[in-house]
Amino acid sequence: MKRKILAALLASTMVLSLAGCGGSAETPAAPAGDNGAAAEEAPAAEEAPAAEEAPAAEEAAGGDETLTVWCWDPAFNLNAMYEAEKVYQKDHPNFKLNVVETPWEDIQTKVTTAATSGDLSTLPDIFLMQDNAFQKNVISFPDVCMDLTGSGIDFSQFAAGKTAYSVIDGKNYGVPFDNGAVVACYRTDYLEQAGLTIDDFTDITFDQYLENGKKVLEATGKPLISMQAGECDLIMMMMQSAGSSLFNEDGTANIVGNETLKVVMETYKTLKDSGVLIEVNSWDEYISSMVSGNVAGTINGCWIMASIQTAEDQSGKWALTNMPSLVGAANATNYSNNGGSSWAVTTKCANPTLACDFLASTFAGSTELYDNILPSGALATWAPAGDSNAYGTPNDFFGGDAVSAKIVDFSTKVPTNITGVYYYEGRDAVATAITNYINGSDIDTEMQTAADTVNFLMGQ
Amino acid sequence: MTKGKKFGMYLFLCIVSFISVFPLYWMVSAATNKSADVVSGRLVPGTYFFENWKNLMASQDVGGAFVNSFKYAAILTLVSLVISSLAGYGFEIYHDKAKDAVMSIILLAMMVPFVATMIPLFQMFSKAGWLNTTIAFILPTISTPFLIMMFRQSARSFPHDIMEAARIDGLSEIRIFFQMFIPTMRSTYAAAMTITFMNAWNNYLWPKVIMTDATSQTMPMVVANLTQGYVTDYGMLMLAVLICTLPTAIVFFCLQNAFAEGITGAVK
Repeated sequence: MKRKILAALLASTMVLSLAGCGGSAETPAAPAGDNGAAAEEAPAAEEAPAAEEAPAAEEAAGGDETLTVWCWDPAFNLNAMYEAEKVYQKDHPNFKLNVVETPWEDIQTKVTTAATSGDLSTLPDIFLMQDNAFQKNVISFPDVCMDLTGSGIDFSQFAAGKTAYSVIDGKNYGVPFDNGAVVACYRTDYLEQAGLTIDDFTDITFDQYLENGKKVLEATGKPLISMQAGECDLIMMMMQSAGSSLFNEDGTANIVGNETLKVVMETYKTLKDSGVLIEVNSWDEYISSMVSGNVAGTINGCWIMASIQTAEDQSGKWALTNMPSLVGAANATNYSNNGGSSWAVTTKCANPTLACDFLASTFAGSTELYDNILPSGALATWAPAGDSNAYGTPNDFFGGDAVSAKIVDFSTKVPTNITGVYYYEGRDAVATAITNYINGSDIDTEMQTAADTVNFLMGQ
Repeated sequence: MTKGKKFGMYLFLCIVSFISVFPLYWMVSAATNKSADVVSGRLVPGTYFFENWKNLMASQDVGGAFVNSFKYAAILTLVSLVISSLAGYGFEIYHDKAKDAVMSIILLAMMVPFVATMIPLFQMFSKAGWLNTTIAFILPTISTPFLIMMFRQSARSFPHDIMEAARIDGLSEIRIFFQMFIPTMRSTYAAAMTITFMNAWNNYLWPKVIMTDATSQTMPMVVANLTQGYVTDYGMLMLAVLICTLPTAIVFFCLQNAFAEGITGAVK
């Protein structure tokens, strides 16, 4: 009998301990307990965004004027959202944002999971989307993003090349935010040693770029530009500068017979063979080559300036201008785009009127917001912001030049680009083609292979 | 072994140890340097540790994420050890043909990748209203085929004579498990604990899908957040990685002898 009682006691202890686990597992769902624990553990983190969001999350259920936002990069995108919240709160004191920091890849995973499982309830009201992925997501998951045409947001005040990323079948699905206009940055001290100035690099062609690059290489031993091997950022920027895309309007691949792509690949190879362009193995190495002064410049989306400016000792030694244009390509310009992102409103949003009004009065309607976020390096694609005084302020790092106004001007001249559903697949195929071509393969064969790969992936 | 051979062997071991330890050293030294110095390849420790600490604490809720990670990992480890060891023990001690067949089906499940079951799992948990809860974190991996197999293998070396003796002395089956099996298999438990804790601590994809709330974030998510900006602060990132590595390192170092024994299947 005694044994049986003991066995029963043991068994019940086990069940209880298991149930206890289950119980304690569910309690953290109550936000108050969780925040309390977090706050106790991290007094230093009191000012962290996550801690600030907590009360907003609690009121999300009750308050009508709370929006949940997903975006990445605290110094840049999150900061912009908090500033937008402040601007909007002036007229709407009850308005609150619950910003959840989520890396882009994770936003993509979550959107894909939610859309394929048919359960959109986990999505936020607004989220930030990479421009290159915008068309893919809207076309593949038509239920996720809300059509913002006619929502009161004035899209005509954004640069056309920028809005094109989030326009599908003539409908606007995104509010453009982050500027990805291409800039060419150069080390003026290296250029001087070669007897050149920044003017010799402004409004030039890639032929002139090559000649200048050879002079710099001879005088300083430094290449003009470094690029990550196996990535085709520069290829894409060069293509777009001549208004060419890897896809046609109807979604078919535009690789074989794309004369611009051919010119781009040949130009890239010439630069590489001459030593004016060096390839590095990783993104970190790419940043390092600039920060350590191993190259005399770079060409990339204007956001690259933030990385360059971490090298405080090089302040005043850099200058900024537009990129070279292609030779032998129709419609060649000195302007292009790389990266950038736009805000999307989800169909799950409980208060779409509020979400649209918030975006219309901030990112699409407030010079104050753009002035406030300028110090973080966030540049507008909203034309009226470029006229503000803040954008004319000289930047000492770039030799006292008013770079912000310059970049907003560049962004209005960027030719449009068609990304389509298979943009990333197209990029990868072209990256392989360029690597093989540099290593001695025939250009036409490589372009054909790239087209075949893309067509295969598209199931055509 | 000749002196020359011995020298060669030690030289080889030194090189291999250096290669394995260097990334750890670099992580620690980078956590004390400025981002620009890390990028330019500075190897010696710097004086920027407190700045990195301050920046990290200001930009991320590290404390909250640390507590979350620890809570999820500890609960999962505890529960999954009890369940998997009971299962493994049962499969071996009371085995018959039917149970062996079930065991092979469980082993087959090892071959199904998690991504294949993720979306149905997400639907189930979302419908049950378990998003952002600990139960959602632990339930999918509460019993893994690997752990069951590990306990089944180690139960094989559990001496049947002791069990018989215990039964004759009147010990019930459940008490044999708790009073005889668990103490004997300490090293297996230690090894299983290390593996489960590490897996739970490093788990990224599943928590990322079900934890949509900022207050439910785990440490790996915090590290991922730091790599997202246009500018990556490598010093701060390495500090976060260091903080994220510490608990698993501590668990491993505390249990490393038992871990080695458990993996090789020793019974004392």
